[in-house]
Amino acid sequence: MADSPGRPDGTDDEDQDVLIGEEPGASVHPMLATEDSYEELDYDLNIEAPITEQRERLASGTIASIVEEHTGPASAEEVGTEATELENDVERSSLEGDLSNLQISEEVTQRRADTVPDRQDVPNDTDEEVLQNREAGQREIKDEDIHSSVWRDHKKHVFILSEAGKPIYSRYGNEDKLVSLMGVMQALISFVQDGKNNLRSIVAGGRTFVFLVRPPLILVAVCRTHESQQQLLLQLTYVYNQVLSVLTYSQLSRVLETRKNYDLRRLLGGTEKFLDNLLNLIDQDPSFLLTAVRCLPLDSTVRDTIGHSIQSAKIKDLVFAILIADNQLVTLCRMKKYILHPADLHLVFNLLNASTSFQAADSWIPICLPKFDSAGFLHAHISYLDNSKACLLLLTVDKMMFFELAKCKEKIVEKLKKHHCIEAINRAVAGGGYRCLEVGISDLRHFIYKSKSTAQFTAPELEAPYREKEERARLFNMYQYVHQRVHNAARPLKIMFHVGSREAMLGWVTTGFELYAVFGPLATKQVAILAVNKLLKWIKKEEYRLFILDPPEF
Amino acid sequence: MYFGYQNRGSFLTDTMTSTPRSCVMLQQFFIYNPTLGPKEGEEEKKILFYHPRNTSIDNQIKNVGLSEAVIKFTETFSTERPCESMHTQKTRHLYLQPEKDFSIIMIITVPFSEKTKDGKTYHEYHEEDIQDSVYSAVLKHAYKLFKLFMGSFTSIMENNGIDQLKHRLEHFYSRYLLTLRLSHSDILEIHNGILFLPLDKNTYLRIQCFINLVEASFSQIKYTAFLYNDQLVWSGLEQDDMRILYKYLTTSLFPTSLDTELKETTIKSNQTLGSTHYGKFVTGPTDPHDQQSSSQIRPPKIFVNNGSHIEELHLVVYRALSATVCLMVDGSTIPPLDWYKNIDSFIGPQLSSLASDIGEQYANRKGSSSASQDFKFVYFNQMNLAQKTTVHNRKTSSATISPEMVRLISDINADFTRFEEDGETLMKTMSDCWVVGKKSDQREFYVVINQKNATLTEINEEVKRLCAAHFTNIFFLD
Repeated sequence: MADSPGRPDGTDDEDQDVLIGEEPGASVHPMLATEDSYEELDYDLNIEAPITEQRERLASGTIASIVEEHTGPASAEEVGTEATELENDVERSSLEGDLSNLQISEEVTQRRADTVPDRQDVPNDTDEEVLQNREAGQREIKDEDIHSSVWRDHKKHVFILSEAGKPIYSRYGNEDKLVSLMGVMQALISFVQDGKNNLRSIVAGGRTFVFLVRPPLILVAVCRTHESQQQLLLQLTYVYNQVLSVLTYSQLSRVLETRKNYDLRRLLGGTEKFLDNLLNLIDQDPSFLLTAVRCLPLDSTVRDTIGHSIQSAKIKDLVFAILIADNQLVTLCRMKKYILHPADLHLVFNLLNASTSFQAADSWIPICLPKFDSAGFLHAHISYLDNSKACLLLLTVDKMMFFELAKCKEKIVEKLKKHHCIEAINRAVAGGGYRCLEVGISDLRHFIYKSKSTAQFTAPELEAPYREKEERARLFNMYQYVHQRVHNAARPLKIMFHVGSREAMLGWVTTGFELYAVFGPLATKQVAILAVNKLLKWIKKEEYRLFILDPPEF
Repeated sequence: MYFGYQNRGSFLTDTMTSTPRSCVMLQQFFIYNPTLGPKEGEEEKKILFYHPRNTSIDNQIKNVGLSEAVIKFTETFSTERPCESMHTQKTRHLYLQPEKDFSIIMIITVPFSEKTKDGKTYHEYHEEDIQDSVYSAVLKHAYKLFKLFMGSFTSIMENNGIDQLKHRLEHFYSRYLLTLRLSHSDILEIHNGILFLPLDKNTYLRIQCFINLVEASFSQIKYTAFLYNDQLVWSGLEQDDMRILYKYLTTSLFPTSLDTELKETTIKSNQTLGSTHYGKFVTGPTDPHDQQSSSQIRPPKIFVNNGSHIEELHLVVYRALSATVCLMVDGSTIPPLDWYKNIDSFIGPQLSSLASDIGEQYANRKGSSSASQDFKFVYFNQMNLAQKTTVHNRKTSSATISPEMVRLISDINADFTRFEEDGETLMKTMSDCWVVGKKSDQREFYVVINQKNATLTEINEEVKRLCAAHFTNIFFLD
């Protein structure tokens, strides 16, 4: 049965039972969390649980427990209090009144800079400097006139404000000029809340306005796209997670609890670039739509060698080692007990994608992965290996481990070089993925295949007729459209086949996988069915190249 | 059976139970004009109609204020297209700006079910049960029906004053809102189509002759419409007015008048003036020969669009057996009782004989059509508003398939509208039902097929076969 995957045509029910675990890219050793993010979101929105409870659900492992396990309870407390200390600083100085505002921000920034060990030979490219660099690179879009039609007609606006209605971020235009607009948003939300209800969205003027309240923040999207409310809410959740990755939930809530009117931009200063970049990625990268990660296609022997090299360099307190090249995952090595959520990994991808400064020198920065633990920071050693496209992130709970990790990295590089792995990665990146032609199905234009058990997906390069930017965007919208229909919360589908004037799209969801395939508009259903059956066989044959099925563990 | 579904639910299913979901209900319905109370402290003056009536003035002002704020906020981004809806967890607000400065807001409840998880009970709201396209159509119809019977808001305000407008709104909506069947609203509201009665050429021509004769003999009659049961045979009105009138006749006037007929136990044939016929007035005098009872009953007025301006007419509905003629009479004068008498004696016998002939033809045809249980369909043609459905019960016009399937039809319809292009969509649900939608040259065709083991290819063949069988001369893009 293994080589005859079910057919998207209804007769597959029995086959499907056999198929589970046999579908292409299936693995019983997941390294990523696989729960359905849309469902989770629905649940979060529906249940009126206290926020702390929701936060517990956010965490798949806690930093404190890792520390405890490795060093005993005493130091766990130390780490646990670290975040609190930080907040106390804010609290203490806030008591001193408004005059000390400047001081607070300095202190906090200082504090974040302090997370870099105070040793002479530490590379200078600390987050503080990165921060400065970010500030230096002015956002051009800032200057846009918010009364112009250019500003109004952006495809997707995203705003972040505090629960008090203070502007924190706007994707386009200077948020300082949007004080009154954001005030109205806040007022609308709180008016509806007064009636023990929650505002979700407004449809007006050919736009969808979506509201997500994540105390102490409010996130709003205004879109001219046809994404569903559900899809947009998930995107806003990604944005919220990006904010947490810089601040942690503990710090964010403490700061705004203490002083409702606190200008959060003081703490987030310089990180707008990461929000901008995240939003650009969301609009073109299926990872976010699917809550899945894309792997760099690589021979399984090479991938195994890389995995072993990283594994053998294991040191105490190293929680995750992540190797990324060209926005794709090469391998992920983790502590046995902890798995990573794709949403957290997206933040890591975004971090690398948004900043070029990591290429210049090894860096050491604190990062909060909210799904992993929204209460505290992990510390990341980030380095591009041997001036290649491959970037290695070593994540630990111990902020004093820079030098140990630097050594660890040297060891890994040495091994990778010995086995010519870096060259292999470079070659894979330069090759630019695989082409749809390789599959050998003439009618198939493009596809996206997600293996649910591993939260990984694969897709070929975009080729004609999807070379132009507009056409790519349109295709992506079509994928979003089929996705929203098959994943409708109330009316989920097993199969959807849509024929429009420019293409035919198939969406097929089973317990093990999701497949979206694009054909020419004249492709018949028979052709499409034959094609996807052939495609599944091809993916199955290539699964060790396209997916990470045996992830290494420490 | 729902294998895939369970898997999706794995995150939540362990310890959950749930109760059946509540119904969609009308929570509020109000009409306001912001220019009537522009000053602070005068907000009350904006409000022209508010349902429920017992809402405190403070709450009325607050809710009107919210909708004004929402409209103003969204206009920051675009004024090209209007504000359509606001979604909250527990309610859905639908907005309509039918005339300059007038807004109608309809607030309906989102169905919920009670769920228990880990010993805690909470309400789960089923937002996706409420489809904007369906309820926007319900709201639009509520306005258009008012306009048909009362005229436009603006014209009433200009000609009769604000108090008269308020009075008419109260008069109309306090009753109309009670008749809304929100939980049964579906794709039919969106199409708002008309059921036509196909007839052989002879009968059709006879009806046409009959109408021409009536219109020639009674010059006060401006337009005529002819129906058999709830099917339209002929109409002289503009299409847009006819679809409103048609809906009123078939969902409101006919059912209530049939009730009264049934109460009279035996249908008395009218034997006056020597001829035998079954005709009687549905609107207008119940018995034109009874001076006393009839003189008071005036037929309702309607306002229709004759292309260039709004025309005021009296709607006189006359019925014999299953055939109904709507006589739309010049509105400037009220027809005298003699006129009704003449109509009755002129139309009564002819209409009775026409009705029984159509009935015969109708009965023969009915026997020949075989209804399959495996599939149901909805068809709509935007060009002539023709609509056909086997998804809905003829009598109650509520759907006979699961609500999810009917909503999928509206989903596909919404997508066609959004893409503004022809196309085809096939969907297989978690319960292995197939829903297929095709749109081609302004025609829409939806099929629900309940064949558990059918393949995509088989379904495709089945739909093709159906198209060929039911719509022989209609070309559907494959």
